[in-house]
Amino acid sequence: MAREKETTLYIGPQHPGITGNMMVKVKVQGDTITNASVHVGYLHRAFEKLIERRNWLQSFTILCRFCVPEPDPMELTYARAVEEIEGREVPERAKYIRTMVMEMARLQSFMLWYGGQSGSSGLYTLGQWSVGDRNYLLDLFEDLTGGRIYHMYIWPGGVRRDLPKGFKDKALKTMDYIEKRLDEYDKLLFDNVIFQKRAQGVGIIPSDKAIEWGVVGAPLRGCGIKADVRIDEPYEAYDKADFIVPTFEGGDIWARAQVRRIEARQSISIIRQMLDKMPEGEVYNKVPNPMKWKIPAGEAWAKTESVRGEVGFYVVSDGSEYPRRVHVKGAAYTNGVTVTEKILVGQNIADVSFILNSMGVCPPEIER
Amino acid sequence: MLEKEQKLLEILKSAFQVEGKVIRNRRVEIWDHKEMVPAILLMVKTQLGYKHLNHITCIDWLEEGKFQLVYTVFSHTDKLTLFVKTKIDRDPAIMPNIDDIWDQANTYERELREMYGIEFPGLVGDQEFILEDWDEMPPMRRDFKTDVYAEKTFFAQPGREDAQDVRETITKRSGEEIPEFAKKYSRD
Repeated sequence: MAREKETTLYIGPQHPGITGNMMVKVKVQGDTITNASVHVGYLHRAFEKLIERRNWLQSFTILCRFCVPEPDPMELTYARAVEEIEGREVPERAKYIRTMVMEMARLQSFMLWYGGQSGSSGLYTLGQWSVGDRNYLLDLFEDLTGGRIYHMYIWPGGVRRDLPKGFKDKALKTMDYIEKRLDEYDKLLFDNVIFQKRAQGVGIIPSDKAIEWGVVGAPLRGCGIKADVRIDEPYEAYDKADFIVPTFEGGDIWARAQVRRIEARQSISIIRQMLDKMPEGEVYNKVPNPMKWKIPAGEAWAKTESVRGEVGFYVVSDGSEYPRRVHVKGAAYTNGVTVTEKILVGQNIADVSFILNSMGVCPPEIER
Repeated sequence: MLEKEQKLLEILKSAFQVEGKVIRNRRVEIWDHKEMVPAILLMVKTQLGYKHLNHITCIDWLEEGKFQLVYTVFSHTDKLTLFVKTKIDRDPAIMPNIDDIWDQANTYERELREMYGIEFPGLVGDQEFILEDWDEMPPMRRDFKTDVYAEKTFFAQPGREDAQDVRETITKRSGEEIPEFAKKYSRD
């Protein structure tokens, strides 16, 4: 049989299946991808450089923009790194609130993932449901922080304000509702033969290579490797929460989806536990005048677990009012570039956006 | 307490005569010359189980004329993070390449080449990673002035004359004093 001609296709930056402002350049023979390379640079705004010109608290206006669907891990990671350099204590109640906020952020990000993952396989109904239901979680964020998408609620030294009146009751009712809805989602997605056939055996990450390739988050746990920052290096009140970290064998989209399916339920469980166990007390160990707040010279590396995987901040202070360097390592930096390039080879063109969604690619994390 | 951390430090000290310390639980740092970094990373990856490369970062110490490079690696078995740190000259900035140890180091190094102007001999991939058609000084260097570049490259959108600075306009119109904390500040 004659060898088919190799064609180059550009998927993105403007394409309904791409997960942000990026482009995947694929070479195809027939329908099969023979080579893939990820191109970024469409949204570089030099966030890390801009942070160097802002003081320690002004940086928060930029931090939350590293990942729009899930900004809270960025705020927490930065705050923890600053606290470590300065040696600032966080009140116990604030730790519980932070853990709850992190899980709320994870949960609303799972809802977006449901939409992306199902939408990229043609199942649009679920996307409309989950994004609609996500608004109930955003309502909670609005009550708590004043903002629906960007919160800037977690600050060095704690959180900005205590829970509003009636928040616990409303949050628990919302969790009951979301939990019921997750069962409905399962019927639509996991019981659907189209999704099963498209997800199983597609986009496989070999489990023996996963760690070496730098895979993090749900894709790594989908390879059967139990790795999660929340249990590897428990932070805030995670050591007081009772939860499981699911793992699945296979390394394909199906395994990653199963991991997320269980993790969404675990998030609900952790939120309930935090609301239940939360001690009384202060929530904010107040920082000095922000315009004159100096942090002693030092370096710190902090990391947290987001939906996409490990988010790490390397923060350096030279003793002044401004950060010397803030390096952001988002989960998508490896998951979305080198790993995606490798697993796309041999796949069908139609699966590109399906695979990108399962890897949780978020371009602002790649080009900061 | 800190037994695992001390043990790791001792192994590295005896193998490479490096300087280092245990920062806190789960954090160990070592310092060495740049030529030794690939050997240390290869050893910790293949023999000690530090298979996960978290990131490579650069800090510009303009006053000293040095770049500090930090290689952060993590062991999924020991749950320890190791920082391998080195300082190199700013000019010429050359650092041994490690993308044969970890494939994903390639993107970090390409980014450092664009953003700091650090050369990695033997690095695969000539094309830019993020910055295309950039002719200026590598922008993440401390001596690259973003405000000067912005003024040179961009222009303010023409609009109402009084839309240029809201605070100044308010003072002009009403004669109201701007409080000290609300005035524009500068780093210099």
